[in-house]
Amino acid sequence: MSRLPVLKGTLDLLVLRALNWTPMHGFEIVTWLERAANGTLDLEDSALYQAVYRLEERGHLEAEWGVTENNRRARYYKLTASGRAYLRAETKNWAQYAETITAVFSASKDGEPARAGA
Amino acid sequence: MIRFGIPRAFRLALRRRDRWEREVEDEIKLHLSLRAEQLAARGASPDEAYREAVRRFGPLEESRARLVDAATRREQHMRRTEYVSDLRHDIAFAFRTLGRQKGWTAITVATLALGIGATTAVFSVVSSLLIHATPYPDPDRVVIVEQQASKGNNTGIHVSILPPTPIVNAWRTQSHSFDALEPYAFGNGSLGTEPQVAKVITTSILPSFATFAQRNPILGRMFTTEETTGHAKVALLSESVWQSRFGGTHDAVGRTIVVNDSTYTVIGVMPGDLAVPSRGRVPTDIWLPLDTANHNVGMRAVARLRRGVTIAAAQRELDTIAVRANVYPAGQLPFVAEIERPAELVGFHDSLLLLMGTVALVLLVACANVAHLMLTRAATRTREFAVRAALGAGRMRIFRQLVVESLVLAFGGAAVGLGVGWLGLKAMVALRPAGLTELDAASLDTTTLLLTAAVAVVSGVAFGVAGAFQSSRRSTQDALKTGALSTSHSRRSDRVRSLLVVTEMALSATLIVGATLLVRSVRNMQHTDLGFEPRGLYAVDINLPAKRYSTPAANAAFVQALVSRIQTMPGVHSVALSAVSPGSRSFSVGAFEIEGEPSPSAAQGTSFTDGNGIDNSYFATMGIPLTEGTLFTDTTAAANQVIVNAGFAHKHWPQGTAVGHRVRVSYQGKGDWQTIVGVARDASTNGPGAESTAPLLYGPIGGSVGGGSIMIRAEPGTDLSTPVHAVVRSLDPLLTPPTVRSVETIVAASIAGPRFTMLLLSVFTMLALLLAAIGLYGVMAYSVIQRTREIGIRVALGAQRPAIARIVMLRGLALTLGGAALGLVGAYWATRLLSKLLYGVTTLDAASFSVGAAVLVVVAVAACLVPTRRALAVDPILAIRAD
Repeated sequence: MSRLPVLKGTLDLLVLRALNWTPMHGFEIVTWLERAANGTLDLEDSALYQAVYRLEERGHLEAEWGVTENNRRARYYKLTASGRAYLRAETKNWAQYAETITAVFSASKDGEPARAGA
Repeated sequence: MIRFGIPRAFRLALRRRDRWEREVEDEIKLHLSLRAEQLAARGASPDEAYREAVRRFGPLEESRARLVDAATRREQHMRRTEYVSDLRHDIAFAFRTLGRQKGWTAITVATLALGIGATTAVFSVVSSLLIHATPYPDPDRVVIVEQQASKGNNTGIHVSILPPTPIVNAWRTQSHSFDALEPYAFGNGSLGTEPQVAKVITTSILPSFATFAQRNPILGRMFTTEETTGHAKVALLSESVWQSRFGGTHDAVGRTIVVNDSTYTVIGVMPGDLAVPSRGRVPTDIWLPLDTANHNVGMRAVARLRRGVTIAAAQRELDTIAVRANVYPAGQLPFVAEIERPAELVGFHDSLLLLMGTVALVLLVACANVAHLMLTRAATRTREFAVRAALGAGRMRIFRQLVVESLVLAFGGAAVGLGVGWLGLKAMVALRPAGLTELDAASLDTTTLLLTAAVAVVSGVAFGVAGAFQSSRRSTQDALKTGALSTSHSRRSDRVRSLLVVTEMALSATLIVGATLLVRSVRNMQHTDLGFEPRGLYAVDINLPAKRYSTPAANAAFVQALVSRIQTMPGVHSVALSAVSPGSRSFSVGAFEIEGEPSPSAAQGTSFTDGNGIDNSYFATMGIPLTEGTLFTDTTAAANQVIVNAGFAHKHWPQGTAVGHRVRVSYQGKGDWQTIVGVARDASTNGPGAESTAPLLYGPIGGSVGGGSIMIRAEPGTDLSTPVHAVVRSLDPLLTPPTVRSVETIVAASIAGPRFTMLLLSVFTMLALLLAAIGLYGVMAYSVIQRTREIGIRVALGAQRPAIARIVMLRGLALTLGGAALGLVGAYWATRLLSKLLYGVTTLDAASFSVGAAVLVVVAVAACLVPTRRALAVDPILAIRAD
């Protein structure tokens, strides 16, 4: 499988998703994404940091300096209430969007949407 | 504590940015090393692993810059949010704490409201009449253009003349000093046909006036240029005439009205608040087209100076053009241009500035009181602040909270003050003298609101900062340790309190002296010897329609008939004719010459000389005795006899007699020599305000009276209106019967202006005095509370009641006398500003200064009474046990 470029705007969503259960520092988010996507995402690490800073600027994330397991100082990010709400709304949008696109691609020649399992 | 100042603030910001850069750097470093460790764990060499980590990260420099920018924005946003939420919290907190001390808050707000209210009321008049005297665009460049005698105005009042039409036309076409110069002419007109005639003010203008004023008819259209040159009988109505005559209906346009006995077609309606500049408020009823080619009375002009042109330069240019206009003999300029700002036309000008200064002092006294109230409150709150500081509130935080609290107070005071000011303004308008019609136009405008807001902000911040300063001077530990005030602190705040009271007393003393001076001069005006007897003197003004009384003979026949009928009325002693109606003045314009003395050269120009035309029964009727010479022995024009007043005689012949000398007022070289036959006593026929010794020439009046009056000496209280109206109706049924005016009332009205100023100044002075008394009371009451223990000990040691009373009274008197001394010194300077308004008293009137000091002492004793009684009631046992 070739590596997929990340669609514009979806990176924010992925970061929020990564932080949905537990606060993480930057590198943890990167490795979580790599693991979750099975290494199929084509993404520079710096792009992720920019997304994180952007989300923090908008108030979806908040950060705090903490210490890693190996006793190193790292900046930990966690979702804010607004980030959680945003994630919820955008997940729904994304699912709808994906469903629509999938439906379009699997439509028959005369435009009838293909039925699941048909 | 961080000192405030721009360099510091700047460094602070730099330091923060440093911090974010370091944080971003740390985060990137951590990421790279964790990535390298991850790769190394999978078998890469350390060097390879690090290179791969950097490669996967992407463009390092660019990302770092972006991240730092984002961090900066984030921090700024956070600080803003934090600031707003803190502020909201501070405001809510301020309302809560102020609400807990309702009495204190009410007194503080009321004090501020009185000070701000007085300021608002007077400033709204200043703003409406002086600052916004010009209802046209670019008001700072709008000026009024008239002319005055080249030799200057020596009449004691403002006299200007209408520039002749050809000169105004020349100015209009040739001058480069103005963006626009709009001529206009007032007229006293009639509206309607006899006997239903109303007196109206007509104002003739050019169509370009609409452009100048940026105002258009609210209905119909403006005049066209053709209409101003072609004798077109078209008129624009004012809004009020439109309402009263046509009920404000749209079909008024196209209807006809009769103005000055001619029929005009109504072409539109002008906005009700549109006016041309005038002395006093002259509301236009009917607007007519101005025919600048055939207007023979002369015209005023309102103009907009070109940017950067000074009034002096414009005046010079207009004079140069006037010389070239061929109106005056070659090389002569008997009248020079007079350019004034519209605000200078306001009659109330000097008084207003004086009152503005007065209310500023009242506001200062109010602020001093509030400062004292704040001090008292701060003293009770040192513990609160110490506790909060101990709990970790930063000095900045406490400081800001104090400022917010006093701003809330100040804005409360300003809001109530606006209400007080509005009421004050209504009261001023209701009490205004009849002559001050301009005052009706005053309102609480935007400028006033802005000033009020500015006063609130400045006083709020000042009190907050002062309060914070006060509370920051005590260390937290000190305040927590003891409940009582430390001695050094209490001594310092005592000094501040004393200073505030002394200031209040000083300001009040200055105001009392000023008010007393005005009261005394108004009293002098009321009791001065006018040089004639206004009681029982009446005037009937004669204004006959020119159409039916077109010849002097017709006019004289009517006047003679009326005079002879009035003479036979019961209660009437004598009747005389006067060409000048009481309450007005008339001037001969020209160069004044005395026979035998070097005649003034043409270049010496023109001046005004008071004049009146009278008949031989005038002096007896008025009650003015002749001091020398005789009445007119020959009243024909050819005899050229004149009578002068004593002031005239004394000015030119201080040693010998004036009788027998010949004088003339020549204009452009023409003017007959007139022989002085008698000297009459000086008389202030227009009331005490006018200069009674101003030189005055009485000439014989012909039989006809145009615009003058019939003077009647009768038993005081005689009803002359009914018989005079009956006689006029029998002589000419079409004529609107004239009103019979009492000269006594006219004289009383002439001092209405100074009386009004005196009244307002007295009210404001009393307000200041009341506030100062409250201030003194507050300080004394506080000091008694502070010294309760000391007083208790003294009583326990056997001090007698008088000794205790003396402690309080002496301190109060010391503060008062200190203030009075300063205030009298202040009055020595300040009363100079009054000199123009004074009559019969000097600015250094000893009686007024004594009154100032005496009133202050009496008020001070009264203010100290209650605190003294409290001191006497101190129970030594309770006082010593407490605390």
